[in-house]
Amino acid sequence: MTPFNHQKKQKHIGDSFIIHLLFTVIIMLFSIIVLPSTSWAETWYAKQDGVKVTAEKSSSSALVETLSLGDAVTVLSKTGRVFKVKTKKGKNGWVFKFRLSDKEPSSDSGPGLSSLIGRNTIAARESRAGGSIRGLKETTAQYANDKKIGQEHRDAVDRMGAFTLTTDDLMEFKKSGHLGEFSGDAQ
Amino acid sequence: MKRIMVLGSFTLVCMCFPATAMSGFLDSLLQPAPKQNVDRPAQEKVAEEQPGLLDGIGGLFGVKKSEIDLVKKGVGVVEALQPIGEEEEIVLGEAVAVEAFSRFGGEYSNKDWNRYINLVGKTIVEVSDRPNLNFHFAILNSQEQNAFAAPGGYIFITVGLLKALKNEAELGGVLAHEIAHVTKRHMLDTIRRGAVLGSVSELSLAAMKQDPKMFSNAIEQMTDLLFTKGLDKGKEFEADVVGLDYAYRAGYHPQGLKDYLQTLAKEEGHAKSRFFTTHPSTTERISKINTVLNGYSDIQGLPFLTARFQQYVKAE
Repeated sequence: MTPFNHQKKQKHIGDSFIIHLLFTVIIMLFSIIVLPSTSWAETWYAKQDGVKVTAEKSSSSALVETLSLGDAVTVLSKTGRVFKVKTKKGKNGWVFKFRLSDKEPSSDSGPGLSSLIGRNTIAARESRAGGSIRGLKETTAQYANDKKIGQEHRDAVDRMGAFTLTTDDLMEFKKSGHLGEFSGDAQ
Repeated sequence: MKRIMVLGSFTLVCMCFPATAMSGFLDSLLQPAPKQNVDRPAQEKVAEEQPGLLDGIGGLFGVKKSEIDLVKKGVGVVEALQPIGEEEEIVLGEAVAVEAFSRFGGEYSNKDWNRYINLVGKTIVEVSDRPNLNFHFAILNSQEQNAFAAPGGYIFITVGLLKALKNEAELGGVLAHEIAHVTKRHMLDTIRRGAVLGSVSELSLAAMKQDPKMFSNAIEQMTDLLFTKGLDKGKEFEADVVGLDYAYRAGYHPQGLKDYLQTLAKEEGHAKSRFFTTHPSTTERISKINTVLNGYSDIQGLPFLTARFQQYVKAE
């Protein structure tokens, strides 16, 4: 074998390697393009408790699942004000996108809204006659005493803080006004 | 060979292009959505004091103790810039709320109206950047047109302003502006910067309980800002933009705030309201809001809910 032939064979082997590499890369790229969209889908998280996943785009449609604060979903597609998602339980459905976040909520995000408004009674709405419904904080009471702020204003803050709405009341309000998760229904 | 290399390079570039960037790019082409203003407050760098270190170095170089103390005081000021926690925020907000009722005619007692503003407010809070903070909404018995946001989610609207509104989108716009002040921690940010002046050294819960005077000073600073001086213009404009987006997310026509400001602009120079001294000029705000509104392409069908507003808030 002459040195010339040896060089030629090495060049041939080098070309063959590049062609094989290129072929592999092209196959990979092709696979990426034709792979189902779920492979590239984003993960989003429920911003609070009580986020509804429904069977159809309309929030009035059948309930598939209710998400809690921090629950992750895989976004399959985005349309208008809703996302089509797959939940961790493997269920597919639609979620109002403004109740999801692309960042995982931190552990100090606090309790979900449902725990704050989810009571079935509105007892706290009633005014108090004597003692405090909820009670002002020690610092507020001290401050109000020092500044000689009238009891009626302290009571007003107490009532303001104690006021609650039921989940059903808020849901009905949003539904009748085509607001929140029902806002896409009107468009 | 050259052709193979070019083809190879192109393929690699395609491979390296992040998938997320691609999807974002395609999304924006397929569905041009308005820019969501959800930026988080910037984390400020906080210097850590190392006890004894300054004394040691100072002693080595023969620096007087009084001079060392001055340097240490400076380090302490930087420490005061630490973000105020949510628990402290709520404690401060509750005391400011007592002041709000005290200075603006007390509570306007109307259960139906109170329930209504809470329904509108909570609808917006759900789509805000702090949906888990328990916001509270109340009406103040003052004919002066004004609205306030105290830290911790205490939101106030005067009965004068409520009666001047034409529809629920306007009410939503006003409340969303106030909610944005809380989600962006505007008051806390201002008070933290105020701490640099030396009036407040620490705003921890323990410190507030132990030192009522310091707590009282903090509340005075906040009420002064809220009712007299106002926040700086930049924060007001930011609340306009962020609030407008919250109203949009909640499903209201985001033009509500602008419509109310146009009503208010007619009264500027005539009506006596602290609103004009605590906010930038309404004309300037309207102009900026118009620019932002142009960025929303899908707001045509969003409601103003005039009939529902009239049903709840009947003219007396």
